[in-house]
Parts: sequence; structure tokens; C-alpha cells
Amino acid sequence: MTTISTEHYKNKAKEAIKDDVLQSALAGLQNRLGPATAAMYKNLPEGDELRYKAHEVRMFALDNLDMLLEQLAQKIRQRGGNVFFARDQKEAVNYCLEITRRRKAKLAVKGKSMVSEEIGLNDALIKDGVKAVETDLGEYIVQLAGEHPSHIIAPAIHKTRNQIGSLFEEKLGISYTNDPPTLTKAARKHLRDAFLTADIGFSGCNLACAETGHITTLSNEGNIRLATTLPKVHVAIMGMERIVASLEDHDALFRLLSRGAAAQNLAGYVSYIGGPALDSEIDGPEEFHLVILDNGRSKILADEEFKEILCCIRCAACLNVCPVYGKIGGHSYGCTYTGPIGAVLTPLMTDIGQSKDLFQGESLCGACQDNCPVNINLPRMLLALRAKTAEGDPRWNIKPSSPVEKFIFSIWSKLISNRKAYDFFFRLARFGQKILPTKNGEIRKLPPPFSGWTLDRDMQQIASKSFIQKWKETQK
Amino acid sequence: MIEENLNNQDRFLKTVKEAIKASPGGYRKNREELFSRLSQSTIDSRLKKIQNRTRADQLKLLDLLMEQAEPINLRVMPVKNLQSASESIKELILDKNPEWGTVKKVAAWKHPLIDKLSLGDALAKYDIPVYQSELKSTDDLPAGKQMIREQIFESFVGITAADFCIAQTASLVMKSHPNQARAVSLVPSIHVAVIELNQIIENLGEFYFLQKWDPIQKKEGLTNCMTLISGPSKTGDIELIMVHGAHGPCELHLFVITGET
Ligand code: SF4
Repeated sequence: MTTISTEHYKNKAKEAIKDDVLQSALAGLQNRLGPATAAMYKNLPEGDELRYKAHEVRMFALDNLDMLLEQLAQKIRQRGGNVFFARDQKEAVNYCLEITRRRKAKLAVKGKSMVSEEIGLNDALIKDGVKAVETDLGEYIVQLAGEHPSHIIAPAIHKTRNQIGSLFEEKLGISYTNDPPTLTKAARKHLRDAFLTADIGFSGCNLACAETGHITTLSNEGNIRLATTLPKVHVAIMGMERIVASLEDHDALFRLLSRGAAAQNLAGYVSYIGGPALDSEIDGPEEFHLVILDNGRSKILADEEFKEILCCIRCAACLNVCPVYGKIGGHSYGCTYTGPIGAVLTPLMTDIGQSKDLFQGESLCGACQDNCPVNINLPRMLLALRAKTAEGDPRWNIKPSSPVEKFIFSIWSKLISNRKAYDFFFRLARFGQKILPTKNGEIRKLPPPFSGWTLDRDMQQIASKSFIQKWKETQK
Repeated sequence: MIEENLNNQDRFLKTVKEAIKASPGGYRKNREELFSRLSQSTIDSRLKKIQNRTRADQLKLLDLLMEQAEPINLRVMPVKNLQSASESIKELILDKNPEWGTVKKVAAWKHPLIDKLSLGDALAKYDIPVYQSELKSTDDLPAGKQMIREQIFESFVGITAADFCIAQTASLVMKSHPNQARAVSLVPSIHVAVIELNQIIENLGEFYFLQKWDPIQKKEGLTNCMTLISGPSKTGDIELIMVHGAHGPCELHLFVITGET
């Protein structure tokens, strides 16, 4: 990933919580989209069963991934398309640049694709002299503002209409308005020329179908269709796990994806692309390339504990209900994939040690799994990552956590397995807590090394009598 | 370059295979068993059920379509015959104004159903040209394509047929075919589609079933580009407020020819 700054998580989160504008934007998202998604699942004729089935379909694809990718590549080549397997972001970017150079491309239009964010395609194109225009309205806004997306599906969710109005006034030279339809129309007008004149179109891939040999793209705006129809060259980039075996697997998954992402029955545009246009066709790209990207995914696939995360279809439903994302917003995570999915995926794709704040910051409330269209057990993996940082794991290049922490926990485990010692400790602590500063009967500050706990919250005092003591008294 | 790509592929897929071995999940199959299969009798009976729908069944599907279309702003207009479809489309074109510029031009597919509407004649007296996207065999191909492309860009209404219409999700299905430019349903501000009553099927599951098991569909395949269109273009990217006409068409009108009663 181009710019990961996961180590700033705590500071950025603090700033985000103080940002009133952001807070109201996030509240809007969570109050409206979150519950709407949940309601949509309930209305499915198959009920929750469909989510379990979808999970199975995705796990099936992972267990047979090599054969499925081979079939996809073969079918696309048969139709005259090109397929490139890229081990890492560098190989993927270089392949894309080879194409833009060969075609002498000056202007590229991009359909929303998190994987192109992941490999840092925009920066590479711009450095190479290709103007890369984001065409999804949210992405366009974010690009105009010189920022990065803060949400997988609604990239500009952190911005209010007033901010967007000022941004358009400054960058597009239109007179200020905060009316969403007028703003949308202004972007439509500006991007139309780009669509009609672009040399090359880039897109992601939602979920390929191995059986028929097609990638698919989903959008509501129609921008991806434009970007993959009008330019002479179409380059699609897909994470290697974004594939299912059989055509009818798309039935369950697309209905779930559209519900999870935007609380709708089906995305406005679903396109199956299996190669360049035929000569006898009037339009459509004459050249089609598919880049299949590993970039750390095979390492995750090889790990029994974490391979489940590769079932993800990037619908962002987990973000819309996560109480942590709902407060700190996407930018605090400092990486492409944010929210609960990001808190698991980013550490696995980058460096678990460096990005440990991400999974330690999540609350383990379980809302993400309940809302996940493919029922991924995110809380389990958040916990597993925490265990890894505590115990260390050479495979993931993590050293065990600090000796002090380890020492404290070993004492604690001794203490709680010995009744007498335990009671004695609490008698002591009950007495000792009297010297700590309190407010409204709660402890304001703990001494080091526990001071972190009371940094942003007060703590309940230890009760004067334990439950067992009270119980005994009532029995007398 | 091709050879190099194949080397890449082998190395890449080997890594994937090893990863799968390292964490076996219990769904591993042989190559022959990768894709779902159905018994011939199941296929036959389901195909029969779909193909033997009565007119009353189809009308029920039309009702379902109309119900599902409303919330996504897809306007469905049942019409009795080709003539009244043609009439209604003409009215629509006369009634609406171009989004860009002031001149009214229309782009249409070269397609048997669309041809029968004779819109060119109907609109000639209003000086509204109807461009058909048709490549003549005598044409210089690139130049011919470029000309049609420009005509579509200048048009404010695009008229297409469709391969199927899925009632449950209110989706039009369009496969890529010669002389049916993809841009006609995409670039003009208003998309008008015309289908016949018996093209409506029930849901996505049925659609995929047909693609996979109906001999005719199977032979044709999904083509190089197949699109499902459910409603006009829309976005909620500014404060989640729904706005129609983000980049694609702002309006989508679907005429369903029900046949004389
Ligand atoms: S983890 Fe589940 S809910 Fe979150 S983005 Fe992935 S599929 Fe959607």
C-alpha cells in the first residue's frame, strides 16, 4: 500500500473525535445505512441462511483458487484478452505502465477500485505523465481535495455538502452551492469530456466467474461502464481471491453484496466482461487486460487462522455498523482498507507489529460479523491477531510483546488461580485505592504502568465487599 | 511478452496451490467437479416451467416488474402493440429537452424490434434524425465506427432492445452484439428500451439457470460484455442523498409490448 501510516492511529483518532463535522457525517452513515442493510437481510426470502451459504461459496472458491484462476485466464485469453499475474504491487504497476507507454496514453479514466488504491496506481500514472481521473463521484471529490478515500463504498463520506460546495467552487470554478443534485451535475459535466476522450480505462473487479471466464464490475453511477466501454483499452485489476466457481454463485453473492453495500436489491449496473470487443462490434475496448494480484494474499491463504478474511467482497457493511469506525472515521486507520475489515486485513497485508493499534482499537462487539453478507468471523480474527502480538509468531515476523507486560500477566494468572492470594490482593487493593484521586466515586487516574487505562475514562472503584462476602452474609 | 506471462502464471499458481495445501479447508475438488451440475431431468423440468408460462403468468411477472421498478425510478410503460410503442416514444422525444445543447438527435440500435417502430419516419417531419448504429460491410471499419460513436455522443435519447428483463430486480439484460452499440444505453441522457412481454423472466436465479442450461443461451454464452441495467444512473456520494443521472442516463423508460388483447 502506498501510504500506510497506521502508527498514527491513536493521534488521528483523537483528532477525529473532536471534529464535529466528521462526527455528524459519520452519524448520518451509521444511523441510516447501517440499520437499512440489516433490515434488507431480514427481507431476503432465504433469510440469514443465504449469508451462510455465501460464506461456503467463498470458502469453496479459496480451496480451489489455483484451478479457478487458471480457467478464468484461459477463457479470457481465448476471447483475445490478456491476463497478467502480478506477485506484488510493483509488478502490477509496471505492467500497467507498459500498456500506457505503448499506447502513448495521456488521459486515463478510473472506475472505483480499492485495489488500485492498494497498489498506488494513481501516483505511478501521474509520475509517468498520464493524467489519471477518478470518475466515481466520491472518489472524484476526494481526488480534487487531494485526499484519500475514507470508506470503501462512500469514499467522500467524511465531507459535508458545504465542504464539497466550496471545493467545487474553488476547483471547478462554479458558483457556490450546497445542493447535491446541482453538485452532482457539475461533476457530471466535467467528467463527460474525460470519458469521451480518455485513451485508457481502469477498473477493479467485484467478483469474477471462473466457469464462464468473466470478470464483473458493479456500480450505480454508470462510471465504470463508461470507463470500460468508451476508451480503446480497458485494464482491470483484481485481487486474486475475488472469484467464484459457478455462474449461479453470483445470484446469492450479488444480492447480498448490493444489500450490504447500499441497501438495494441489485446494483444499478452489473457488467460481465470476458474480453475485448469483437471486430464486428461498433464500440467497446479493442484491447482488454486483466491483472490478477497476489500482494500478500497467498500468505494469508496459507494461514488456517486467517484465510477466512479472503472471503470478503468489500461491501463495507461492517464499517457502517462498527462503533469504532463510527467515531474515528476512515482516515484514522491510515491505510486503504478501513473499519473492521481493514483492522484485520491491513496488518496481515503489511506488518502486524506496526499496525497493531488497528485490531487492538476495535471493540469486539460482534456487530461486524452480524452485518457481514458473507458472515466473516471478524471478531475471532481480531482476537487471534491480539494473541499473535502477545505470544509472537516468526511466520508473521512478530516478536512477543514486552517482557513487562508478560511478567504482569504471569503474576495475574498465578493470583487468580489461588483463592487466598486473590482475596489478600483485593483486600490490599481496596485499601490502596483510597489514595488514588477520585471523582463522583470513580477513580480518575491509575498509577503507571496502568495509567493508560484511565487516560480517557474513569474507573469503578473496587467494591467494599466482594460478592462472595455478601453472599455469605445473606446466608447467615 | 505472452511467454513471459505464462511463466509468471505458473509461478503464481504454484504459490497459490502451496498456500492451499498449507491450510486445507475441506472443499478441495478435482478439476472435473469444480462447477455445479444438474441432472438432465431437473434441467428439463425447470426449462419447461419457464418456457411454458401462460400469458397470465407473464402478465403477473409484468406486475412484479412494475412494482420493483418504481422505487429505483425505472419507468415501465406497458403498450399494446408496436404502433402504440412507436407513438409513445415519439411523444416522449418531442416532450423532452436535450441536456447538452439544443438540437434533438436520437440514436438507436439496429435491431428487428426497433426497426419495426419506424421511428426515423415518424420523427422526420420534426427534423429529428434517428441514427442507427449499423456498420455497413462496404464501410471502412474504423471510420464507420468513429462516425457512429460521434452520432451517439450527439444524441440525447438512446433506443435499445434487450435480451431479457428480470422482474424481481427490475433489470434489463444486454449482451454485446454486432450493430448494437453499447454506448446507446449509456451516453445519451435518456435511455429508452423496448421489449416484448415474453422476454420477462422471474429472478436472477432463473436468469443464471437459463444462461447455463438453455441450449440457445448456452451456445451464445454471456458474450464478451453482458450488462444488467437496473434503473437510471444514480449516486449517493454526497451525504448519502440519492441523485439520479450521475454519469449514465438520467432517465430510463421501458416499453413493454404486451400484444393485442
Ligand atoms: S468483511 Fe464482510 S461486511 Fe466487511 S467489507 Fe468484507 S464482506 Fe463486507
